[in-house]
Amino acid sequence: MCEFSRQEFIEGLQMLGVDSIDKLKYLLPSLRAELKDEHKFRDIYNFAFGWAKEKGQKSLALDTALGMWRLLFKERPWPLVELWCQFLQAKHNKAISKDTWSQLFEFSRIIDPSVSNYDSEGAWPYLIDEFVEYLRENQSLEACTSGA
Amino acid sequence: MSQAKKKNFKIEPFKHKVEMDPKYAEKTWKILEDAIHEIYNHNASGLSFEELYRNAYNMVLHKYGEKLYSGLVNTMTQHMREIARTVEAAQGGLFLEELNSKWCEHNKSLQMIRDILMYMDRTYVNNFNKTPVHELGLNLWRDNIVRSPRIRDRLLHTLLDLVHRERTGEVINRGLMRNITKMLVDLGPTVYQEDFERPFLDAASDFYRVESQQFVETCDCADYLRKAEKRLNEEIDRVTHYLDAKSEPKITAVVEKEVIGNRMKLLVEMENSGLVSMLIDDKYDDLGRMYNMFHRVSTGLQTIRDLMTAHLRDTGRQLVLDPERLKDPVEFVQRLLDEKDKYDKIIQLSFGNDKTFQNALNSSFEYFINLNVRSPEFISLFVDDKLRKGLKGVSEEDVESVLDKVMMLFRYLQEKDVFEKYYKQHLAKRLLSGRTVSDDAERSLIVKLKTECGYQFTSKLEGMFTDMKTSRDTMQGFNATLAGSETNEGPTLAVQVLTTGSWPTQSGARCNLPTEILSMCDKFKQYYLSTHTGRRLTWQTNMGTADLKATFGNGNKHELNVSTYQMCILCLFNKADRLMYREIEQATDIPASDLQRSLQSLACVKGKNVLRKEPMSKDISEDDVFLVNDKFSSKFYKVKISTVVAQKESEPEKQETRQKVEEDRKPQIEAAIVRIMKARRLLDHNNIISEVTKQLQARFLPNPAVIKKRIESLIEREFLERDSVDRKLYRYLA
Repeated sequence: MCEFSRQEFIEGLQMLGVDSIDKLKYLLPSLRAELKDEHKFRDIYNFAFGWAKEKGQKSLALDTALGMWRLLFKERPWPLVELWCQFLQAKHNKAISKDTWSQLFEFSRIIDPSVSNYDSEGAWPYLIDEFVEYLRENQSLEACTSGA
Repeated sequence: MSQAKKKNFKIEPFKHKVEMDPKYAEKTWKILEDAIHEIYNHNASGLSFEELYRNAYNMVLHKYGEKLYSGLVNTMTQHMREIARTVEAAQGGLFLEELNSKWCEHNKSLQMIRDILMYMDRTYVNNFNKTPVHELGLNLWRDNIVRSPRIRDRLLHTLLDLVHRERTGEVINRGLMRNITKMLVDLGPTVYQEDFERPFLDAASDFYRVESQQFVETCDCADYLRKAEKRLNEEIDRVTHYLDAKSEPKITAVVEKEVIGNRMKLLVEMENSGLVSMLIDDKYDDLGRMYNMFHRVSTGLQTIRDLMTAHLRDTGRQLVLDPERLKDPVEFVQRLLDEKDKYDKIIQLSFGNDKTFQNALNSSFEYFINLNVRSPEFISLFVDDKLRKGLKGVSEEDVESVLDKVMMLFRYLQEKDVFEKYYKQHLAKRLLSGRTVSDDAERSLIVKLKTECGYQFTSKLEGMFTDMKTSRDTMQGFNATLAGSETNEGPTLAVQVLTTGSWPTQSGARCNLPTEILSMCDKFKQYYLSTHTGRRLTWQTNMGTADLKATFGNGNKHELNVSTYQMCILCLFNKADRLMYREIEQATDIPASDLQRSLQSLACVKGKNVLRKEPMSKDISEDDVFLVNDKFSSKFYKVKISTVVAQKESEPEKQETRQKVEEDRKPQIEAAIVRIMKARRLLDHNNIISEVTKQLQARFLPNPAVIKKRIESLIEREFLERDSVDRKLYRYLA
């Protein structure tokens, strides 16, 4: 997982016009800034799945996925990322499919943190349906305990 | 009269008529006037029709038509007024009679007068657009008598009063009534309608409103309906006898509204006598009457239907969820069939086989049968019971009718695939234990299922029958080879060879077969594999039976019919007198739960306890010791101890079957999704769900969440993908 081939490494840096560490350092902030663009972010996000998983596997191991998510969502904050990771560890404990991975991004983009605009008929993957349920249970729990 | 004098070819134009002498006109009129008087005074016999006609003719011809006409009007009016006074003076009951007789006379007089004045009717009246004589006579009658202020109201009240009295049981003069109403009709349609009919209908409305209120408070539902029917018939009768036919629909509408329409809900919901109790007590006549009466009112039948449906669903739900009933599956199903029969009969006898009621019945049954998830299992158990013993000695037609009823219940099931699973299990047990009452009956049911659900449903079942037949042939061949060989002694073996795919899946059953039969079993295996290479045979030891001849210590000899497991256990006692549980377990290698069940049925059941157990407790424990029960006795030579009979599943078994069903459903759902997407190429989520549901509904109702998971699985396996622009769309990947 997370491998670059030599070819890819060289070609990639060539395209960036980088041939020294200093030049790379110099470029990093602007590269980071690119992530602010939604489309670019999506491309990188989706690429990350294929790149992070083991060769020959169809799905991404959970631990790797969690790490990746935390990493990616640092650049583009999503308030529910920790809860999502918590939920997966508690309830799912299995590898992540490609569809779930890509749909999660859409979820973070479209649905607001209070999940008030979540549409249960919205063709979301089953795992995300469960996540929303998990959130709602915990919200009401919080409401109970805070009320008491 | 003058004539033109003839001149030489000169014809003079007609210059002027010779007028009638006015005094002559007056004289002529007088003659006629007198005649009219005489006519009205019943003295017409002395008059000459010819003379009067001629006089009238002359008057009109000489342009005195107007005088004639106005004279007529005046004279008749005068007479009308006289008649009015006479009628007004009449007392009590004589009022109507007087009116009636005067009316008859008037008509006669009018006819005569019209005949006399016929020329005027045809010429003067037409030319000057006057009312013809007959009509004039009627109008004058109407205006001066019937609508005279002193007669009008009195007439109406008299008539209404008579009707009311008749309604309360008195006998009235119907002939007289008829004449009067006919008079009103003759006087013009509006006269009858406005002067009589409308108030009549209003009075009827009031009357029935009050009466129905009384009835509702004092009668029960059936009684009320009988009274209502009676009243309705009375009113129709009334119209036939003395009202205008056009009043019939109007008066029946009034009765229907007041007596039925406004009371419907109350009637139907009456405690202890309303619709529900009628249904419970099979009151066919009362229900039929209710149907006929309510049919007349626009929402009547719907009222009945709605309450019937609610009651049926309620009863059905109680039936189906009552824990007591669930203890005996056969009883449970029988009760359902009885309920259906009951309502079929009601709909046939009382509701005229009304289709809407049939539909209501069907939808109710469909609703509550599916409230209990075990319904499919129970229906299969019912069939099993019938095919094993219930239909013994029953005629072919009756067998067909029972099977048809079962099919009818089957159609109501939502989870038909669950039924299929149980049916297969039960059929397997029936076939293998040879306990089916009639092969024909079995096949007949398979055919019915095939017709209902298609070839796919029954192909495996038919495979089972084929296996049985093939096995019989195989056995013939095997026994033939035995006959030739040396060892003709030894146990008789009957083998059924089952094709794995067709028969219900078994968890790997194994045990050590007793030595007494091992050699025979191996011989068979050899024989079979010699003729069918490339196949693998595994003994299914949990499905077999054996007949053992046993001699007990007390000298009793019996033939014991036992399961294969039980045979393994019993044969051990050929070599040992007492055995511990653990020894038996080790020697036979039978799985623990099956072993315990078998031992229990051999040692702990009264009348079948061929073994003795120490200690004599009801349950089997691992420290128990078993011995042959030398004191065993039974009044039958052949004793049946086998446990291979279809029965209601225990909780864990039920869970297992349920799981298998769910597993089986997954590929079916996926196949449906793929079929649909292949045809449509691009489809959104909700539409896939509804299409899949529609395709599978003949077998079961798929859960949308399960469908979603299958879609995701198909995406994972790259059969489908999400559209890049609209995430709710899926695309088929060829």
